[in-house]
Amino acid sequence: MQAGQIDILLLVGIIGYTTLIAATPLILAALGGMFSERSGVVNIALEGMMLMGALMGAVGSYFTGNPWIGIFYAIIVGGLMGLIHGLVSVKLKGNQIVSGTGIIIFAAGFTTVMLWVVWGQKGVSDPVIPIPEIVIPPLLGVPILGPMFGSQSPLVYIMFALIPICWFVLYRTSFGLRLRAAGEDPSTLDSAGVNVETVRMIAVILSGCLAGLAGAYLSIGFGSSFSRNMVAGRGFIALAALIFGNWTPFGVLIAGLFFGFLDGLKIAIQVTPALGFLYPFNLWLRMIPYLGVIIALGIIRRSVPPKAIGVPYIKERGV
Amino acid sequence: MTKNKSNDLPHDLLKEDVQASRDRLVSGFLQQLAWAIGSILLALVIAGLLMLALGFDPFSAYFNLLRGALSNPDQILWRATPLIFTGLAVALAFKTGLFNIGAEGQLHIGAMVAAVIGAYIALPIVIHPIVAILVAAIAGGLWGLIAGLLKAYRGAHEVVTTIMLNYIAIIITQWLASGPLMDLTPVNPFPQTYPILPTAALPKLLTSNFVHMGFILALLTILAVAYFLNKTVLGFEMRAVGFNPTAAETAGINSKRTLALSLGISGGIAGLAGASEVLGTFGRFVAGFSPGYGFDGITVAVLGNNSPWGVLFGALFLGLLRAGSISMQVTAQVPIEMIGVIQGLIILFVAAPRLIIWLADKGNIYAQWIEADWKKATPIFLTTVMGLIIGFAAFGIGTTQLLLLTSLATQSLILGLPLVASLIAVDLIFIFILGIIGLAAFISLMRGNMWGTILTLVVAIALPIIVIATPLMLSGLGPIFTSLGISPTPFLIQWNNWRIPLGVVGIIGIAVSLASFYLMRWKGVVVGGVI
Repeated sequence: MQAGQIDILLLVGIIGYTTLIAATPLILAALGGMFSERSGVVNIALEGMMLMGALMGAVGSYFTGNPWIGIFYAIIVGGLMGLIHGLVSVKLKGNQIVSGTGIIIFAAGFTTVMLWVVWGQKGVSDPVIPIPEIVIPPLLGVPILGPMFGSQSPLVYIMFALIPICWFVLYRTSFGLRLRAAGEDPSTLDSAGVNVETVRMIAVILSGCLAGLAGAYLSIGFGSSFSRNMVAGRGFIALAALIFGNWTPFGVLIAGLFFGFLDGLKIAIQVTPALGFLYPFNLWLRMIPYLGVIIALGIIRRSVPPKAIGVPYIKERGV
Repeated sequence: MTKNKSNDLPHDLLKEDVQASRDRLVSGFLQQLAWAIGSILLALVIAGLLMLALGFDPFSAYFNLLRGALSNPDQILWRATPLIFTGLAVALAFKTGLFNIGAEGQLHIGAMVAAVIGAYIALPIVIHPIVAILVAAIAGGLWGLIAGLLKAYRGAHEVVTTIMLNYIAIIITQWLASGPLMDLTPVNPFPQTYPILPTAALPKLLTSNFVHMGFILALLTILAVAYFLNKTVLGFEMRAVGFNPTAAETAGINSKRTLALSLGISGGIAGLAGASEVLGTFGRFVAGFSPGYGFDGITVAVLGNNSPWGVLFGALFLGLLRAGSISMQVTAQVPIEMIGVIQGLIILFVAAPRLIIWLADKGNIYAQWIEADWKKATPIFLTTVMGLIIGFAAFGIGTTQLLLLTSLATQSLILGLPLVASLIAVDLIFIFILGIIGLAAFISLMRGNMWGTILTLVVAIALPIIVIATPLMLSGLGPIFTSLGISPTPFLIQWNNWRIPLGVVGIIGIAVSLASFYLMRWKGVVVGGVI
């Protein structure tokens, strides 16, 4: 290949690969956000839940040497954060956005303290064992699919598997029906004899588990260490993907892939020598996903959020 | 069995009294203050427990925090200055029902603009800072207005857009400070712009002191915002939109314009924070100068219940935390980021007003119970409190002892002494302490009914077993790990890290024994037994 000439097939493959690795945490977190928001609880805490998941994933892998235990820890700690968010905003009827902010600020502080406690530094953790990638040898030589799926983290496949599963849970089970009813019309659900608070609590905890998994992908799925504030706004981009995807699993997939494409561009450019002329604009490339989110939210038609979102359900007033 | 009055506690008796005292609590200024202070205290307690679990000494941490802050009171005011601005920015947007978490970005834009005007434009002495501050406020306001317009006219959620604008603002200013406007002369790890001209600097209030005119400006801004919100048409419209957008629209208020302007004005105030820091403290734009003032502003606003004077209270409190945090880190070795943990907890507690009401109710019930039947209530109350204190103190001693023993354990490892022996030595202390807790709980509950006794016994016996079994099991599993190809070295070498799993086990133990206490007392009271 001559200098200045770009191998289109290779570039498409690389961009496909970076899109996938950048989209996976976004989609996982957005799926989590979907459960919470469809049940009527705004979850801006995704960012904090992801951060805690990323930390515990690294901690679990570091202490046990088994990254899958790290994933387990991440899911548990994400669920725990979801439990706290649920307790404050569902059980105690607090402001859901304020509660979410509290979790984000808590997580930002706590993860740095833990970095110091476990690894004795405040920037980056020691390298930990990441989840081994699934290698499919016959695919490696195929032009576009090769870079994308030839050697890919199992969490990417899990992400793809979760989308139909989430769709099934949300639209084809009685739990999903109750969950959606809790977000659209909680008083009707209540008069049908279902406990709205319980449904919402389960949804928020589930949401935290998925966000924790998304965080663990960042620290031990794609990378192999935890670094301070490594989520870098991805929780909020996931929220944007959720809004852009109109609160549905397949919408989340498409929106997540789109934002993942934007987020992955900078990595794609870094690994492609032919695009070297873009290197000096490194800082500007980092801005692409954030700008993309603002533009996307600016140009979409108004998406329709669940009706009862953000409103704590109060069964009866007074004592 | 005849049910007398005291046995119906705590559920039926004195309900009217509780209701009356709750009514007293929920009204007015005092309630808000109690709410804020209660949240702070709860957050400090929980953060203290977390510190214990992580092997820090919370008493030393809080003591040094307070000492550090009070020995330099000017630092409190200095640290509070930007927080007043960002807190006001968040509070003002919140009055319109908007959640501006973009103060951080608006602050960066304001700071950069102030630095540019301060460094590149020559103006006379008093006019220069005024112009720089005004233009910085306008720039920050325009930055906030982007999110406001998107919210009002495109329905884009302000939480997402303001956060995205934060990242964009930080990247842009960082690029300016490390590229076109970079000052290469000083040796400094952070990119920075050229220093501002002396005419632009905000004077210090006193010599050899940190506090600058920015603090006065902040106080004036509080007055201005209070006046704006309560005495002007736009302020009234903003509060109306925040209270009920549909009703405001019906009443003829252009809610879209109000929403956009609200975020614009909010951004302007956040821009002031950046300008005051650049002109008063740093004298230039330094990348990364803000340790999260924008996010601290959220805590400040939440703590101050979004009222301008409440913001002052919140900012002073957070200024105290920040001023003392260095001393906390240096003397008590607790990372500064612990302040973030405390802040997050405070926000969570303030967000849950019902928690405070619930706790106040409980406190009331217990107080009235002791008053009504002190012979039975006092011993139970005292044992519970004592159990709590012993439990937590023992836990703290356990972790610190463990810290001391870590070095011994490492040495014995080097000398080739058996690992298990040192492990047991460490664990014996833990068991001993947990035994004390179990014994205390046991004695206090022996006088109760069967359930409490059994539960306490289970706690007292199971916990040491868990504590001794965990490390033994893991060290025994070491060779098995190795044969499976998984490296156990992090476990066997990093003794220091043992305190984390052990700490978690200890915390769980305390929680379980507390729960058994509670269950016990509740059972005893409701069934009618005497504890």
